Amino acid sequence: MTGDRYQGQLFNPADLAETAVLDLERRKAILFAEAGLPTWTHWQVLGLEWNASTEAVRAAYLDQVKFFHPDRYAGMKLGSYRGRLERVFRRLTEAREVLTSEAQRAPYVLATAPALEVTRFEARRLEDERRSLERRGRLSRQNPLLARAERITALMRHGRELLAAGQFVQAANDFQLVSSLDPGNTEAGPLAAAARKKGVEARIAECLEKAHAAEAMGSWQGALAGYRAALEIEPGNLRALVLASRAALEAGDAGAARGFAEQGIKVQPRSAAAHEALGSALEAVGKKADARKALERAVEIDPRLDSAKERLKKLRWSFL
Amino acid sequence: MMSDQDPVVGIDLGTTNSVVATVRDGVPRVIPNRSGQPLTPSVVAVAKNGKPLVGSLAKRQAITNAENTVYAAKRLIGRRWGSKEVEDARRVLPYELVAGPEGNDIRVMLGGRPVSVAEISSQVLAELKADAEAWFGGPVTRAVITVPAYFNDGQRQATKDAGRIAGLEVLRIINEPTSAALAYGFGKKLEKKVVVFDLGGGTFDVSVLDIGQSVYDVVAVGGDTYLGGEDFDRRIMDWLTFNFAKENGGVDLRQDKMALQRLRDASERAKCELSGTPTADIHLPFLAAAGEGKAALHLTKQLSRDKLEELTKDLVERCIAVTEKTLKDAGVRPNQVDEVILVGGMTRMPRVQRAVRDYFGKEPCKGVHPDEVVALGAAIQAQALAAPAAQGGEVLLLDVTPQNLGIMVVGGYFQTIIPRNTTVPTNQTHLFTTVQENQTSVRIAVLQGESDKATDNELLGEFVLAGIRPARRGEVAIEITFDISADGIVGVSARDVDTGQEQSINVTATSGLTEDELKRIIDAHLDDQLEKKQSSADLERARARVAATVDEIEGLVPAVQKALERSRFGRDAVQKAEGVLARARLAQEGKDTDELASVAEALDRTLQLFKGLAATPPDGA
Repeated sequence: MTGDRYQGQLFNPADLAETAVLDLERRKAILFAEAGLPTWTHWQVLGLEWNASTEAVRAAYLDQVKFFHPDRYAGMKLGSYRGRLERVFRRLTEAREVLTSEAQRAPYVLATAPALEVTRFEARRLEDERRSLERRGRLSRQNPLLARAERITALMRHGRELLAAGQFVQAANDFQLVSSLDPGNTEAGPLAAAARKKGVEARIAECLEKAHAAEAMGSWQGALAGYRAALEIEPGNLRALVLASRAALEAGDAGAARGFAEQGIKVQPRSAAAHEALGSALEAVGKKADARKALERAVEIDPRLDSAKERLKKLRWSFL
Repeated sequence: MMSDQDPVVGIDLGTTNSVVATVRDGVPRVIPNRSGQPLTPSVVAVAKNGKPLVGSLAKRQAITNAENTVYAAKRLIGRRWGSKEVEDARRVLPYELVAGPEGNDIRVMLGGRPVSVAEISSQVLAELKADAEAWFGGPVTRAVITVPAYFNDGQRQATKDAGRIAGLEVLRIINEPTSAALAYGFGKKLEKKVVVFDLGGGTFDVSVLDIGQSVYDVVAVGGDTYLGGEDFDRRIMDWLTFNFAKENGGVDLRQDKMALQRLRDASERAKCELSGTPTADIHLPFLAAAGEGKAALHLTKQLSRDKLEELTKDLVERCIAVTEKTLKDAGVRPNQVDEVILVGGMTRMPRVQRAVRDYFGKEPCKGVHPDEVVALGAAIQAQALAAPAAQGGEVLLLDVTPQNLGIMVVGGYFQTIIPRNTTVPTNQTHLFTTVQENQTSVRIAVLQGESDKATDNELLGEFVLAGIRPARRGEVAIEITFDISADGIVGVSARDVDTGQEQSINVTATSGLTEDELKRIIDAHLDDQLEKKQSSADLERARARVAATVDEIEGLVPAVQKALERSRFGRDAVQKAEGVLARARLAQEGKDTDELASVAEALDRTLQLFKGLAATPPDGA
């Protein structure tokens, strides 16, 4: 060890003078290593070049711990040097851990790569990519199997883009096509199903929106038409059934209103809104006792249903 | 420094046998006990006459004094009263166990007095210390003691306490398999991946090590602290008692402590015999009374190796399962292992060797002595710690934590902070948050173990971090740091990141003995030892005196014979003198100072007589 090794290091004289148990060179080496810990990379801590081999890491670790393990100075009065040794040792162990781990090494190598290496690496990667693209293009022109694979990849990509853009039906078609081209593809089937489901949902939402708009304009007939359209797509849609019942009632068709409400209860026996709608419809056709029962059921399911309570109160009054 | 010249020893404190070793002139060697044996039984007893006995003396009288003979104390050391392991042990041990004063540790009833397990073990250690002192001819005060790799912090601490009580400064507690690897690699230039398979009297341990440049890097440890030779013995005992009951109309041998002790001895002997022969005969005459007026019952049975293997099949399978898990932890496949070292007496069993061979696909190493290798390794580490690098020490041991270390978190769960198999010294930091609105303090329970549930793990210590800034729950960050130093001391600190408020403890796991209790015991033992030392000094003086007189008498024999040829008196003087000399020789071998004193007097009289006879002038009286 020569003095040059510690060039640029300013030793604190108090630290250097602290213990006489260790010789000066050792004290300097320990202080130097400890001072370097916050800024050095794992490579530097082990005294290695960037990207040194796993074997070199192991060998360097053994070399270093022979110097820095506190047991090498067991029984000696080390003062603050004991803590310093332990800190250096822990960092050495961490460095070895990371640089010999299959999972951690590659990211660390990349993260600590010198700028020149990064540029060189990036250039090589781009070049590789270009070549591979070119090669694939050439191959696909020659090979029908590869051409089909290319087509499948393109369809999948296109399908995903459509899915993201909200064009569900078209997306479902693309995925369906992939499924028929490549029956072994496990991805396309579920994606097609999901896209189709989303398509249905979107269409229902569209119908309901139209109906809402009609309601806002005061056209109960128009609204009813919208709800019916939604129910055509999905006959069991509870929301559409309840809203349709209300719209039919407003439009003056209490019989239809009752039909919608009863169907709603069949779909979801515990729907307070459906029971309320039924109650309203029954009241309108004059079956007050049945109407009261339906409204009581609605309030029982959802005690916070104020509109039903109000209606119920009125019904009760009429019996007094 | 004077203390550097003091010899240091390594001690393998085993379940059934203990061994002490040292490094002399650069060679590790076993120190024989004062009876010349390398192994000292780990047995402590109080004889019928109240005399304390240790080692083979204690073991020899175990049959007639089962209640006051403590063996396998290692299975109890550092364990909690009421734990499953202790309850199991209580069922099979002939001596009585009671709870300690705090209710959480174990005391053994010995000679009518409750004694802590650490004290029992300390008596074995003190015996080994005395053996070493006799061998060195000087005091021995520093030692490295080995424990199974899978021992938790409490068990290690209790072992350390036992050392302190015995008057030893325990330089380090190291793991038995690591120790075996040290002895195996000593003096060789190795670059190898080694597995140590250690099946001893009471515990099973596996370690995976990387050896290179004299650095012994432990990669993973595993084991089962309740799996060992004694479990094999018990299978034989159960088989014998079952068959005996069947053949003798339901006589239950388990009710008779003396019969049980004889069965235990016979089972162990048969097991050992079967490692070399295909069958073993077990013959125990007069084992049980058959009832009034009937002849006593004898047990005669033949045990074949096949039968033994059938009885213990699952035990061997458990060993292999633990080995498999440990190798997985280490990320090593069986075929990547360069060498498998067998340690512990139980690895002499052919079935065990076969299982190891089948699992690793290679012949295990036969180059080490399974009973002595652990103590030899401990001696090597003791030497390395007594004469470190600066003084030319060679080996360096990088050990790991055997079990997960962590704290209890909300819901009674265990959060690992330092995972098992982390190289020490190490430290780890985790951030936690408060769980209640305006929480101003947190209780931090430090635990060790493998379970996700905090209560299933060993509690090492607790402390409270107070003075936390009141805030909404989850807003205050608390930083918890675990720190393990090279000698295995666990330090835990907690810090409120905002206010900088900090609390920390050094976890010195309780061995069950409070510090006060420990001090009191150590003082009492110091007195004992002083007394013993004094009496041993007296003994030495008495022996020296007797030896000198004997020499003098023997020197006079020719002159006396010559004188007697010419005299009619004292013809039988030489015969009488020979009687006295024989008695002197016997007394020299014993330790009884009173007997030595009386012999010395007789010798003095003979000497006077001889001097008179030899001085008789040739012309006669």
